[in-house]
Amino acid sequence: MEIFLSIPFLVFLPLAASFLIMSPLFTSNEISIRRFAKGVIGFHFAYMILMLIFYNGANPYESQIHFFGLDWIQSLGIKFQFRLDGIGLILTTLTSFVFLLSSISSKINIRKNHKFYYSMLLLLMSAILGIFTSADMFMFFMFWELELIPAYFLIGGDWGIDYSETHKKSAVKFVLFTFLGSMFMLLGILLLHYYNYVTNGILSADFLNIMDNSIPDGIQYLIAVCFLIGFGVKLPIIPLHSWLPDAHTNAPTPVSMVLAGILLKTGAYGIYRFNYQMLSESFMSIAPILAVFALVNIIYTAFVAYTQTDIKRIVAYSSISNMGLILLGLCAYNQLGLSASVFHMVAHALVTSGLFMICGIVYLRCKTRDINSLGGIAQKMPRLFGFATLVVLASIGVPAFAPFVGEILTMISALFSEIGDLLKFVSIFSLPLLIISSCYMLKFLHRGFFGSMSESFEKINDISVHEFIVLASIMAGLIIFGLFPMAVLNLVGA
Amino acid sequence: MINDIFNILLPQFCLGIFILIQILCSMFLSPRSYKYSRLISAIGISLSIVLLTTVQTEPQYFGFKGSVMADSYTLLFQFVILLCGFFTVLLTRNLIREKKQNAYTFQAVLLTAVFGAVNIVSANDFLTLFISLELLSFPLYFLICAKKGYYSKEAAFKYLITSAVSSGVFLFGVSYLYGITSSLNFSDIYEIVIERETSLIYVFASVLTVLGLISKLAVFPFANWIIDVYKGCETSVLAFMSTIPKLALFGIICRLLVFPLSSSFELTFVIVLLSLVTALWANTYAIREKNVKVILACSASANASYVLLAASLVSVYNLSTVIFYLICYSLMNIAVFAFLNTAESNSLGDNVEDFIGVFHKNKLLAGSYALSVIALAGFPITSGFVAKIYLFSAIANSGLIFVPFLIALLILTVVALYYYLKLITPMFRKCDGNVLVKMLEATYSQKFVLVFCAILTVLIGVYPEKLIELCRFIAYSI
Repeated sequence: MEIFLSIPFLVFLPLAASFLIMSPLFTSNEISIRRFAKGVIGFHFAYMILMLIFYNGANPYESQIHFFGLDWIQSLGIKFQFRLDGIGLILTTLTSFVFLLSSISSKINIRKNHKFYYSMLLLLMSAILGIFTSADMFMFFMFWELELIPAYFLIGGDWGIDYSETHKKSAVKFVLFTFLGSMFMLLGILLLHYYNYVTNGILSADFLNIMDNSIPDGIQYLIAVCFLIGFGVKLPIIPLHSWLPDAHTNAPTPVSMVLAGILLKTGAYGIYRFNYQMLSESFMSIAPILAVFALVNIIYTAFVAYTQTDIKRIVAYSSISNMGLILLGLCAYNQLGLSASVFHMVAHALVTSGLFMICGIVYLRCKTRDINSLGGIAQKMPRLFGFATLVVLASIGVPAFAPFVGEILTMISALFSEIGDLLKFVSIFSLPLLIISSCYMLKFLHRGFFGSMSESFEKINDISVHEFIVLASIMAGLIIFGLFPMAVLNLVGA
Repeated sequence: MINDIFNILLPQFCLGIFILIQILCSMFLSPRSYKYSRLISAIGISLSIVLLTTVQTEPQYFGFKGSVMADSYTLLFQFVILLCGFFTVLLTRNLIREKKQNAYTFQAVLLTAVFGAVNIVSANDFLTLFISLELLSFPLYFLICAKKGYYSKEAAFKYLITSAVSSGVFLFGVSYLYGITSSLNFSDIYEIVIERETSLIYVFASVLTVLGLISKLAVFPFANWIIDVYKGCETSVLAFMSTIPKLALFGIICRLLVFPLSSSFELTFVIVLLSLVTALWANTYAIREKNVKVILACSASANASYVLLAASLVSVYNLSTVIFYLICYSLMNIAVFAFLNTAESNSLGDNVEDFIGVFHKNKLLAGSYALSVIALAGFPITSGFVAKIYLFSAIANSGLIFVPFLIALLILTVVALYYYLKLITPMFRKCDGNVLVKMLEATYSQKFVLVFCAILTVLIGVYPEKLIELCRFIAYSI
C-alpha cells in the first residue's frame, strides 16, 4: 500500500490540475470547471485520509525527486526533497479539508472568470502543500514565494461580486509585506546555509543536516531574528500585521477562508520548523521576548476587534488574536505547548473558516457588512442562526468544542514552561482573552442576528444546500476534535 | 598573424565580412529589397556562432603579441552576446520597414556594434579594449536615433556626451596605469602590480578606469542618461542596449578585477558603495514612474548594480554567480523587449495604462511577457529565482561586513517588486467598453523570440544544475 502513497503526487496533483484548467484546450464551461476542481480536491482529501491511516510514526514519509539522476542544484547542496512527519501530516490534511470547503463555497461566491479563479486556487493549494512537506530550506523558500502569485490574484481579482480598486490595493499591500518578510527569510537561509557549511562541513540545506550549536552566537541571533521577521509577517506578529485585516476583508469568502484557515498557519509552521527545531539554542533565549509579543497579539487585537463595525474585520482581528495563542504555545518550548499549538491551529482553522463563511453568507444576502445596519436576520434565517450560534460559542471557548481544548492547553503549557518566569506572567495575563473574545463575538451575534429587522431584509432566503454542507462539516470537525482531542495530540507526540 | 586570425578571430572576421556585404548591398541593391537586410544579418551572426567552434581555447591563446586572447570564458561571453545579437536582429522588422532605404546601413551599424561587443570580451590590452569600446558605442549613437522623432535625437545626443565623458575618464585612468607599469597588456600589468606595494596613484588609476567602464552600465555617477535614452529608443534597439553592452562590459570588468586591477582593496569599497547608491536611486526613481520603458531602464540599472556588487567581491564562486545571473537576465530582458516590440508594432503606447486588458487579446504572448517580468522580480519556477538566490548567496558568503549591504539590496528588491507589479497588473484587467477590442498581432520572429526566451527562462528555473555547472567550470578556467 505504501508504494501508492507518494508526497510528490500529493503536492503536484493540484499543480497539474491548475495547469490543465489554465490551458486553452480545457473547456471554458463554468460548471465543468467547478466540478473538475471540486473533484480533484475531493480526491486529494481522500488520498490524504489514506496517508493518515497508513502513517507510521516511527518512519515518516520521505521522497526525493531527481533530475536526470542529479539533485536539483548540486553545487549548493539543494535537494528536491519531501518529508512528512506528524505535524506536517496534520497540517496537510487540514489544508486539503479547508480547500475542499472553500471550493464548495466558491459556487455561490464566484460569478466571473471561473477558469482563472480555479486554476489560481489549485496553484495556491499546491504551494501551501509544498511548504508543509518540503524538507529543504531552499525548497521551502521556493514554495513560500510561489504562494504569493496566486494569493495576489485571488485577493485582487475581480470575481463578480462588488469589485473595487481597494481590492487591488490590499492585494499589493499583502504581496509587498510578505515579500519583505520573505527577503529577510532569504537572508537567514543564506547565512544559515553558509555558516552550517563552514562550521560543520556539510553542504546541504536539509532541515536535518543543520546543526546550530557550532555556529557563533551572534550570527545565530541574527539568523533567528531574520526568520522571525519573515514568519512574523505571515503569522502575523503585531507590528507586522497591518496587511491582514485589509486582505481578509477584501478577498472573496472562499479565499478568506483559505487565508485565515491555512495561510496564517504557514507562518506558525515556519517558526516551528526553523526557530523551534533548527535554531533551538537561540530560540530558548528569544522565547520569553517572543511571548511578550504574543501577549500583545492576544490582548491588543482582541480590544481592536471589539471596536470594529465590519463583521469581516471582527473575524480578521480575532484570528490575529488566536494566532498569538498559537505563538505562545510554541514559546513555551515543551511537548505540551507544541501539541497545544498544533491543536489550536486545527481548531482555529475550522472556527475561522466557519466564521468567514457566515460573514460571506450574510453579506451575500443583506449586501452589507456593517454591524449597525444589520440586525434581526435570525427571524428570516433560522438555520444560519443556529450554525452561527454554535460557531460563535466554539470560538469563545465553550467546552465540548475544539478551541476550548487548544486555549486551555496552551495556557497550561505556558504556565508550566521551564523557559522563564516571564512566560507564567504572560500565561496569566492572557487569560482575559476569554472574556474579551466573548465580548466581541457575542456582539457580532447579538447585533447581527437579534433585534428588530430593517425592511430591506424582508426577502432574504435561508442558507442553501452547499452552504449547509460546508457549515455542517465544520461543526462536525469542531465537535469531534473537541470531544476526542487525542486524535490530533497523539500524532504530534509520535 | 594569419595564424592568429585563423586560430581565434574567425567569428569576428566573419562579422566583418558581413558588415562589408551590408554596405555593398546598401550601395547597389534597390531600396525595395530592404527585407533581405535582416536575413543577411541573421545569417552573418549565426555563421559566426558556428565559427565559434573553431576558436582555440585550450590552453589560453594569446594572439597579436598578446593583445587579443581566447579561452572558454571569452568563448561563453561571445556566444551569449552573439545569441542576443541574433534575437535583436530578428526583432528589427518594424524598424527596417520604416527606414527602407537605409535598412542595409542600419543593419551594418548593428553588426558593427555586435562586432565591437564581441571584441571587448576578448581584449587583453587596454588599447584593444578602448578601440572595441568605441566600436561598440559609436554605432549605438546611430542605433538610438534610428527611431523617428525628437526624443530619439535627444537621447542619442545625451548618450554621445556621457559616453565621451566616460571614455575620457577611462583613458585618464589607463594613462596613469601606463605611467606606473609602462605597459598596456593586462598580463604584464598584473605581473608588475602584484610584486609591488599598492600605491595611491595605482588606486586612483584603477578607480578611474573602472568608473569609465561602469558608466556605460548606468552605475551611479553617470547614471541619469539611461532614463532619457530608454525613453527615446526603439524597442528592438532597447533589446540590444539592455543586454549586449552589459554582457560585454561585465565580461571585461570581471577580467580586469581578477587580473590588472586586483591588488587595490580600496577599489572594492568604491564599487560596492557606488552600486549600493545606484540600486537605491534606480529603485526609488521607478516608484512613481508610469512609462514602461523608464521602469525597465531603472530595472536595468538596478540589476547592473546587483551584479556589480557581487562581481566586485572577487572570488571564483562570485564569478560563477555573476555569469549565471547575466545569462538568465539577458534571456528575460530579451523576452520583455520582444513583447514591447510587438506592442509597439500594434501601436500601443508606452504608458502602463495602455496595456490594460492586453492579456485578453493575446494570451500566449502576454503570458510569456508576464512570466518574464515575474522572473525579473525573482519569483520561483523561473530562472530569476535561482539567479537571485545564487547571486545573493555569493554576497552573503563574502563575509559579515557585507551583510548590511545585502539587507539593503533585499529591501530594495521589495521596492522593485512594486514597480514590476505595476507592469503586469493592468494587463489582466478587463478593458472598458469604449476601448476597441483588437487582437494583438505578432510576426513569427517576434513570437519565436518571446516564446523561446520565456521557455528557456522556465527551463533554467526548473533545472538550473547544468548551467550552474557550466558557469562554475568557466569561472575556474579564467
